[in-house]
Amino acid sequence: MPSPSRGGTGTAAALVMRLRALIALALLAITFSLLSPEFLTAGNLSILVKHVAINAILAIGMTFVILSGGIDLSVGAIAGLCGVVAGGLISQGLELQAFGIVVYFHAWFVVVIALATGMAVGAINGWLVARLGVAPFIATLGALYVARGAAMLTTGGATFPNLTGSAALGNTGFTVLGTGSALGLPAAVWVMTVLAAAAIALAAYTPFGRQVYAVGGNERAALLAGVRVARVKLLVYVISGLCSALVGVIIAAQLGAAHPATGQTFELNAIAAVVLGGTSLMGGRGTIVGTLIGAFVIGVLADGLVLLGVSEFWQMVVKGLVIVLAVVLDQFQRRSS
Amino acid sequence: MGAVSRLRFTPWVVALCGVALLSACSSGPGPGAEPARVRQIAVITPSHDNPFFKAEADGAAARARDLGYEVMVNVHDDDANKQDQLIDVAIARKVSAIVLDNAGADASVAAIAKAKAAGIPTILIDREINVTGVAAAQIVSNNYQGATLGAEEFVRLLGEKGSYIELVGRESDTNAEVRSRGFHDVLDKYPDLTMVARQSANWDQREAFQKTETLIQGNRGIAGVIAGNDTMALGAMAALKGAGLGHVVVVGFDGSPDAIASIKAGEIKATVLQPAAYIARLAVDQAHALITTGSTGQPEKQSIDCELVTKANAESFGIFARK
Repeated sequence: MPSPSRGGTGTAAALVMRLRALIALALLAITFSLLSPEFLTAGNLSILVKHVAINAILAIGMTFVILSGGIDLSVGAIAGLCGVVAGGLISQGLELQAFGIVVYFHAWFVVVIALATGMAVGAINGWLVARLGVAPFIATLGALYVARGAAMLTTGGATFPNLTGSAALGNTGFTVLGTGSALGLPAAVWVMTVLAAAAIALAAYTPFGRQVYAVGGNERAALLAGVRVARVKLLVYVISGLCSALVGVIIAAQLGAAHPATGQTFELNAIAAVVLGGTSLMGGRGTIVGTLIGAFVIGVLADGLVLLGVSEFWQMVVKGLVIVLAVVLDQFQRRSS
Repeated sequence: MGAVSRLRFTPWVVALCGVALLSACSSGPGPGAEPARVRQIAVITPSHDNPFFKAEADGAAARARDLGYEVMVNVHDDDANKQDQLIDVAIARKVSAIVLDNAGADASVAAIAKAKAAGIPTILIDREINVTGVAAAQIVSNNYQGATLGAEEFVRLLGEKGSYIELVGRESDTNAEVRSRGFHDVLDKYPDLTMVARQSANWDQREAFQKTETLIQGNRGIAGVIAGNDTMALGAMAALKGAGLGHVVVVGFDGSPDAIASIKAGEIKATVLQPAAYIARLAVDQAHALITTGSTGQPEKQSIDCELVTKANAESFGIFARK
């Protein structure tokens, strides 16, 4: 794994620090399985991974952006927008007023259009950041509002219900992405698995991956070394847009309904997973595997506390404490190394 | 540098673009028209992304236009600060009355009092505030009565026995607590009904979906899910269907068009309709009475009963009102 600043000291304490997210995850899992007999059942674990997948997919895209030294606040809004784009195309079709006809697309093509929408918004983010030099926080904050507003405008604030499609129109099958499963694993988990494998390979074993680390670590040095910084920055936002769109489509398929407010505050959960996983918000340091562990820590906490019947308010407090604790540990480790 | 000279124009360009955008968006009269000539009513509600509030705003706006008022429709997104600013705007525009679904029982009082001091009456709909004598009227649907209505139907559908899950709304909202109390005042009378889990899903469909999926892991034998609103009921229904438990009885609250469609399709079994559109029209009528005669002709606190919607009568309901 590329982790330039992690010169191993070799001691047991250092090892514990390095594996702290994984250890935290194990401790949480053990605690919950002792407290709740349902926690460690195959059914619950499958559900748990399915819930984690939503945040993990967003967090994978977010990791690339943060590694490059940026931040993407628009992921939840893009998810909402792409969900209603897909929902609208399934339930209402595309009305071509010039020809006076309504076109219904095949469900899979609808998914492709929704993903393209997410990548397009990501490309606009990337263009603002890479070419116009807008601060990532501002560019993506703008995109957050525009994408959310566009989603609301698309539906007039309402929900597109009943996304099962109709056989007569030939657009059934959309909800498979939400309710389908293969080899006992839900579709969302497969999407996460494939995406994670691709992201790990991309980050660790390709020139592009190295360039993302280089740009985030020291942009000036990367530029002088011949890295096409602007192109790298553009691409990380496109990746994040694609991940956001996947999440929007999966949620719409799971609920069989697309709501324009879907995904509010998702960006915060995604950033939390990335930070929990040991990625530096300054860029240039971190791993996809770490992010996945971070997403699992948040997911195990959420599901475990629900199983135990803990109040919503305590769930928020615990989540906040875990995030802060993780970052404090990160600071300790960096000072000691 | 060329960039510097270009930068100097940036604020002007941005301002011009803003003006152009605003004039493209506004459908009202141009800046030359005098706003004080035609009497205005301000309608302020939470975000229209919930069809309930959209029905409220649409109902109030349509009624006000019928009565010859100009209407200013705004949303406060449940942000008391934004609500305060919108009320400032309404005062500045000298509206004749404000119809408000407020952003907090305590946090809204000062803003409403400010309007009153400026001589502008406020008619509250859907949610009460914690003081009397400030608003001209507070017209709300009877959440407690509605909850008992829904719970009685839930008990009937379950045959007075079995285990169930309760999904509660956002725990900081008064209505979440009132509805839950209404449910339990009925449900707790039946010893063979047992609640196996109670969780907040914050009125949210996706959250209800995920939490139901988790909760049914240990409780696959449940007979019912009772939810504090319809979006949570629909989320629970999707999770139950996905788990092959489509037979489980789900009852919601609100009477949203999506829930009524689901009832017609035989999925969720019942909901309780809050007559939001009717209440909104009533509020405008009382505002009109107040403006023209000096009195609403009604007590300040008014409670409108909710109605049970089941497959048997689903056809007779429209958008948050009887057809």
